[in-house]
Amino acid sequence: MKKLNTKSVILLIALLLFPFQSNAQKIERAPIESEELPCITFWNKLIPRYIKGQFAGSIGMLSAGVGWNYGKGHWETDMLLGYIPKNTDRHAMATFTLKQNYIPWKVPLSNRFDFEPLSCGLFLNTLFDDDFWVKNPEKYPKGYYSFSTKVRIHVFVSERFTYKFKRQDMFAKSISFFYELSTSDLYLINAINNSYLKPKDYLSLAFGIKLQIF
Amino acid sequence: MVRFLYYFLFLFLFISCDLIDYHPYDGRLSSDTETGINKTNIEKIESICHDKDTIRFIMISDTQRAYDETEDFVNLFNSSINNVDFILHGGDFADFGLKKEFEWAHRILSKLKVPYVSLIGNHDIIGNGEQVFKKMYGEENFSFIVGDVKFICLNTNALEYDYSNPIPDFNFLYKEIADSISSKRTIVAMHAPPGNEQFNNNVKEVFQAVIKMFPSLLFCLHGHEHNFKVRDIFNDGVLYYGCTTMQKRGYYLFTLTPDGYTYEEIEY
Repeated sequence: MKKLNTKSVILLIALLLFPFQSNAQKIERAPIESEELPCITFWNKLIPRYIKGQFAGSIGMLSAGVGWNYGKGHWETDMLLGYIPKNTDRHAMATFTLKQNYIPWKVPLSNRFDFEPLSCGLFLNTLFDDDFWVKNPEKYPKGYYSFSTKVRIHVFVSERFTYKFKRQDMFAKSISFFYELSTSDLYLINAINNSYLKPKDYLSLAFGIKLQIF
Repeated sequence: MVRFLYYFLFLFLFISCDLIDYHPYDGRLSSDTETGINKTNIEKIESICHDKDTIRFIMISDTQRAYDETEDFVNLFNSSINNVDFILHGGDFADFGLKKEFEWAHRILSKLKVPYVSLIGNHDIIGNGEQVFKKMYGEENFSFIVGDVKFICLNTNALEYDYSNPIPDFNFLYKEIADSISSKRTIVAMHAPPGNEQFNNNVKEVFQAVIKMFPSLLFCLHGHEHNFKVRDIFNDGVLYYGCTTMQKRGYYLFTLTPDGYTYEEIEY
């Protein structure tokens, strides 16, 4: 993976937002028969199905992005941009996250409420910052550090509640609230062989909202 | 609406909680993590050792990913090792430069019954580790005086920088030499020794010539190489004592007397 700069961040944001714009114009038109127009079906599939916002969770203080549901609602893929605020010693940083969710069960609580007792999966997070690297910079002897500071792999479990709106002609069809516990590769490597470290040391908590658009 | 309010209330209750992590490299220290540790501890050490003839200190080093071993050391030290004035940490608190690694290590070492002083290791610089180190411990080059001995503590991890920082910092060394009139003897401590891949070996002879300008250089201390080793690197009689890693459960005990010094390699 090459280093990502500001330009590519802007491009990413534009790519993420563009599908919504194009879709907003289409939505008033008559439904398109998918079998007749495979080309349009393909493009329709690329339109994100939901938007998501999250607080904390090792990918930034706040992150937001879009995602797709598929596989009978059991699978979801998110793309999120995160923001790490500056602190006294370091400027603010942006991150990008690619997240794969698997949701095995949905428990209907009432007409309007659903409870999903488990969502699990993994996510990759990368920092947009030149001080961090994927592969050791050339100044180091070969294989000097055996890890990347730029890309982290995390595993997570989460639970969520979904409220389906009565009016289905609005922008959002349903809203979900979730909380999540995750940990990253480097935290786990520290925790292995160290009984001193307890889950509260290496687990990361996040809260979020998902708005289902389609 | 009410649901939103409850949700945000819940969220803010958790903001101060340990589980909230913006990013492994966010550099945001937990609210109970101390800052300026070296400065505070040096003041304590200087007052403890003010009028002592004999000074005893322990050197530990490279505690990265050895939290259990470090905790065992702290427990052993607090329960059965007496008459030691302070502890010198040779650097590498972190393995990946993560903020949490520094916090975990300090949480254990802060339990020591004597003050400890820390050097910066190469693994402490990775990512934004250097900023975290500076915030928690202070400057990477510093000195302190115990009895009649001046300790010069240096960042020698030149490989981590692109000539953007002077490593080792000769300006700092010359300033310290000029300020050393009041102390009779000198010990130079660093993470990576001359000759090591981290050291700026183009200037290692110059470095050696400069540190020999300090009043009676007793010896040098270093970590990084994860083994006990005592070497006369430049064949000029100045010994470099390399401390082992905490993972191998070893440390140095030095006793400085008015006539000289003794040392022990101890495994626990």
